[in-house]
Amino acid sequence: MVERAMESCAFKAALACVGGFVLGGAFGVFTAGIDTNVGFDPKDPYRTPTAKEVLKDMGQRGISYAKNFAIVGAMFSCTECVVESYRGKSDWKNSVISGCITGGAIGFRAGLKAGVIGCGGFAAFSAAIDYYLR
Amino acid sequence: MDPLRAQQLAAELEVDMMADMYNRMTQACHRKCVPPHYKDAELSKGESVCLDRCVAKYLEVHERMGKKLTELSLQDEELLKRMQQGTGTT
Repeated sequence: MVERAMESCAFKAALACVGGFVLGGAFGVFTAGIDTNVGFDPKDPYRTPTAKEVLKDMGQRGISYAKNFAIVGAMFSCTECVVESYRGKSDWKNSVISGCITGGAIGFRAGLKAGVIGCGGFAAFSAAIDYYLR
Repeated sequence: MDPLRAQQLAAELEVDMMADMYNRMTQACHRKCVPPHYKDAELSKGESVCLDRCVAKYLEVHERMGKKLTELSLQDEELLKRMQQGTGTT
């Protein structure tokens, strides 16, 4: 019964959400270290930012990226599981279809063309990852 | 033939039939649902869903065919009985 719960779509989506959150947090903290623009004072451009400011920026960036990654991961995992359950097969087409749905849903908020580009891009990305993993 | 022996024979036939049906069902559903790639030892979600559906359909088909067959054989039996009664009276 535990195995059946672990195989369910909801559990997979939750797992992807948590994984995405952790990965997004790490990525956000890392990016904050590279692409820093904290504590810039126009009157004193060579001032070094305080540790508090840097940490606050890292935290904000980390949380923001973490939330985005978590949502995208959960959406992708959920749609892939649903598509796989519907088709009854497990091949590469599942990730491509769910990648298109996820990318399209994310991009659709910025208009139809962005939705189409998002669909194509995410589907290609999913296909590449799938090809590498299989 | 005494009724106990008849019952035993019927039970043996039933067991044989069930075993045969199980074997055929396993073979058919495995051929249909599990492609011979074997990159992973565990059944994926798509494969297990396909197997569930395959078994359900197979058993339903088996049940319906059995009912239809008993219906037809009953019809044949009645026809035979009527013919026998007809030849008996003449």
